[in-house]
Amino acid sequence: MRTEFQTELDRLEALLQEEADLVARSLRNTLDALKVQDSRLADEVIASDDEVDDHFLQVDASIETLLARQAPVATDLRLVLSMLHINLHLERMADQCVNIAKMLKSLQPGGLPEELIDEFEPMGARAEQMVRVAMDSFAARDLDRAESLVDLDNLIDDCNRAMVKRVMGIGGDEGQRHAGLMAVLMSRCIERIGDNAVDIGEQTAFLVSGSFREFQDASHPNGGE
Amino acid sequence: MRPQQDPEPGSTADGEVIFDINGASVAYDDKVALRDVSLKVFKNEVTAFIGPSGCGKSTFIRCFNRMNDEIHGAEVTGDIRFHGEDLYAPAVDPIDVRRRIGMVFQKPNPFPKSVYDNIAFGPRIQGMKRGLDERVERALHQASLWDEVHDRLDSNALGLSGGQQQRLCIARCLAVDPEVILLDEPCSALDPISTSAIEDLIVDLKRDYTIVIVTHNMQQAARIADRTAFFSVETGSNGQRNGVLVEYDNTSTIFTTPSDPRTEGYVTGRFG
Repeated sequence: MRTEFQTELDRLEALLQEEADLVARSLRNTLDALKVQDSRLADEVIASDDEVDDHFLQVDASIETLLARQAPVATDLRLVLSMLHINLHLERMADQCVNIAKMLKSLQPGGLPEELIDEFEPMGARAEQMVRVAMDSFAARDLDRAESLVDLDNLIDDCNRAMVKRVMGIGGDEGQRHAGLMAVLMSRCIERIGDNAVDIGEQTAFLVSGSFREFQDASHPNGGE
Repeated sequence: MRPQQDPEPGSTADGEVIFDINGASVAYDDKVALRDVSLKVFKNEVTAFIGPSGCGKSTFIRCFNRMNDEIHGAEVTGDIRFHGEDLYAPAVDPIDVRRRIGMVFQKPNPFPKSVYDNIAFGPRIQGMKRGLDERVERALHQASLWDEVHDRLDSNALGLSGGQQQRLCIARCLAVDPEVILLDEPCSALDPISTSAIEDLIVDLKRDYTIVIVTHNMQQAARIADRTAFFSVETGSNGQRNGVLVEYDNTSTIFTTPSDPRTEGYVTGRFG
């Protein structure tokens, strides 16, 4: 029953996974560009964002039509709502990649000290893992795996703090201080990608359980105390 | 992020119980059409019954004003209480029951009389002859029909459109001051505009009346009902197919997080 509706739901979910693949590719290119401070690769990251935006708009428009024509309820409604949110989180992840690419381009070639580049590696790898876990747990409707994103996010947060600490130790000329500032901002972008992945995990939990809850509450980290 | 929801989204606080039904079953010539239904209907709420054809929802609503008494071979068992009193006690007058608990049917069924006489018919029979003009006008206002018919009260009611005829039937029901209005698929013969007018009317009327509606249109239940009961058909141990109540809850719960997979399957259109 409702074959056309089910086909459209499946198509939308596949489109969302495709968008996630594009985000993962953009993130990988961003990390590579950072590693070798490659301005040309940074340009590719910026250019490829259009493809993510196209997917975002396709998913968004299809959901609008689906809501208008099929009036989904119960699990179907939760799936559509969660896809609406995940679509936005993915698009923001890609935007963070673009932000990093633009900041990288603002630096002189070789302007980022080696010690800071080394800090990005584990952090970026963790962000890639989180994008993968977020989308795999959504596809599998796996609540436990979605909740594991919190631990992964804590690791990224630690990396971000380490980056700030490292930059605080940088002295030297204005160029170095500028590079340090850029490094903190880029680190913050990667940290936000981790947060977006946790947000996707929360959507999986909403889809599976039927009630929305934040895995982590930044304003009440100790449960409202 | 989405704002935190209340612990029970869209929850409806329990008000005064109008109908309290425990273990109701209905059989037609020993064939059980509806088995062991228990639920409460609350004052000034719209309660919707949904479910596939043959699930017994129309049979059930007819228990509320003893309309099944009129069906040869029908037998109603179980405890059906209206304001705490046994609706099927020997001393209860079914005619008085049907005045207090009015009913409107699937197909508009005005009498082949004038608009005025249709509305005045019930009050006249009940001996409510004082202030009859005011009573007729009030009922037509309540049914959102006055503006359309005030200048043709003497015209034959059969000349009205389908939607107007159905609102006339609701006005006819209201004219004898009922407490409860039972609606058995009141919009199934109407176009979308007339359906919308009836739905607005139902939501408006629940301020003064308690409303129970049977509908095939799930979205209609989602739009106007405070609580929704989902009925389905099950095959009993004797091989007979019986209607059963599967789930009864706040309408928002039924259409967002139903607890029974049969309800989920029906409301999402996957089976049923």
